[in-house]
Amino acid sequence: MNSTNYDACPECDLLLKPAQLKIGEKAHCPRCGLLLSRPRKQSIERTFALSITGFILFFPSVLLPMMGITVLGDANTGTLLSGVIALFNENMWPVAIVVFLASIMFPLVHISLSLLISGHLYFKRSNRYLVTWMRWMYHLDEWIMLEVYMLGIIVACVKLMAIAPLKFGWGLYAFIALIIITTLLTSNLDNRLFWQRIEQLRKENNNAS
Amino acid sequence: MQAKTNALSQGFIRCDDCGFLVKTGNHSLSCPRCNSHLHARHPHSLQRTSALLFSSFLLYIPANIFPIMTVNQFGAGDPHTIAGGIVELIDSGMIPIGLLVLVASILVPSSKLIGIGLLLLCTHFRWQINARRWTVMYRIIAFVGRWSMLDIFMISILVDLVNFGEVQIIAGPAATAFAAVVILTMFAAENFDPRLLWDNQKNL
Ligand SMILES: [Zn+2]
Repeated sequence: MNSTNYDACPECDLLLKPAQLKIGEKAHCPRCGLLLSRPRKQSIERTFALSITGFILFFPSVLLPMMGITVLGDANTGTLLSGVIALFNENMWPVAIVVFLASIMFPLVHISLSLLISGHLYFKRSNRYLVTWMRWMYHLDEWIMLEVYMLGIIVACVKLMAIAPLKFGWGLYAFIALIIITTLLTSNLDNRLFWQRIEQLRKENNNAS
Repeated sequence: MQAKTNALSQGFIRCDDCGFLVKTGNHSLSCPRCNSHLHARHPHSLQRTSALLFSSFLLYIPANIFPIMTVNQFGAGDPHTIAGGIVELIDSGMIPIGLLVLVASILVPSSKLIGIGLLLLCTHFRWQINARRWTVMYRIIAFVGRWSMLDIFMISILVDLVNFGEVQIIAGPAATAFAAVVILTMFAAENFDPRLLWDNQKNL
């Protein structure tokens, strides 16, 4: 029995023969129903393009004002970063760190890693850190909470409307675009294909040297 | 393919990080493709998950008793607990948003605590269950966890925007406890290994 002829379900450990899937097909685990693989069209090219877009959008969405309110003539605007700073100033630093990591730091690291990895694969460049980057990217996935932050914005808006009228800024529009891009990015990134290509690159590199 | 068999019983270990299937027996403990440590099942899955779950249970109490934020108007403070904030939203006619916060801040965390508890009991006592159904429950628990951060993000926005000297919103001590509950339950779900549910079933 050669291990490359088989595959195992990550959630129920069923030993499987990997199906040769065409683009648009999906493979589910016959025992537990987990979605095992779903090859995407031009996964590397699309991931590369989407990571560049996301990386560029990241900075306006963190730094530009997302919304503002005016109370009794005084105006305040808020950005993603100023929310974190406001929590810090109230000595809520554990919460500030959590918000900073989940809404700024991890999304930035994730998009940078995906840019680095897909860029290397796109240009067929080998790099000994590819494996490490790929592992980090995989583990960061569930700690990115941009969509949850968006819901937080919606609830905050409803509460603020009772106090004063709201104005929305470019930061919010950039942020919404960033959420759409990161969602497309995760759905286009074919993990299995990326790992195969990384291994292929490493083998070619070993043969060349 | 013959009868349904576990990869482990055929001597294979799947790498948790990159999905590579490794034949055990050559005593290599790291994955030949990505170098991460190989484990047939998450190491100390039950101990780690129960420790994390127990800590979240304890923190869940202050998270609900203490105020999560205080609205300071002209010197007079008005503290809100998580439940109080939801009641206020529903009272002021914002029923859909109130329900959304109710689901994210109360129903999701409490059902997560109960759900992970049940998964632990099930594996510990080797209950004969419908493993597929329980795996789906595990999947839902792992998926919904992050949505509870909603309240914390909302507070970071409110604290920042409503700060005018005479009107202020101040984050309360429950915010720290609540954020910790969300993170600890996420770690608990991550440390639980759903393959243990299948390992315990006698007739598969
Ligand atoms: Zn399965």
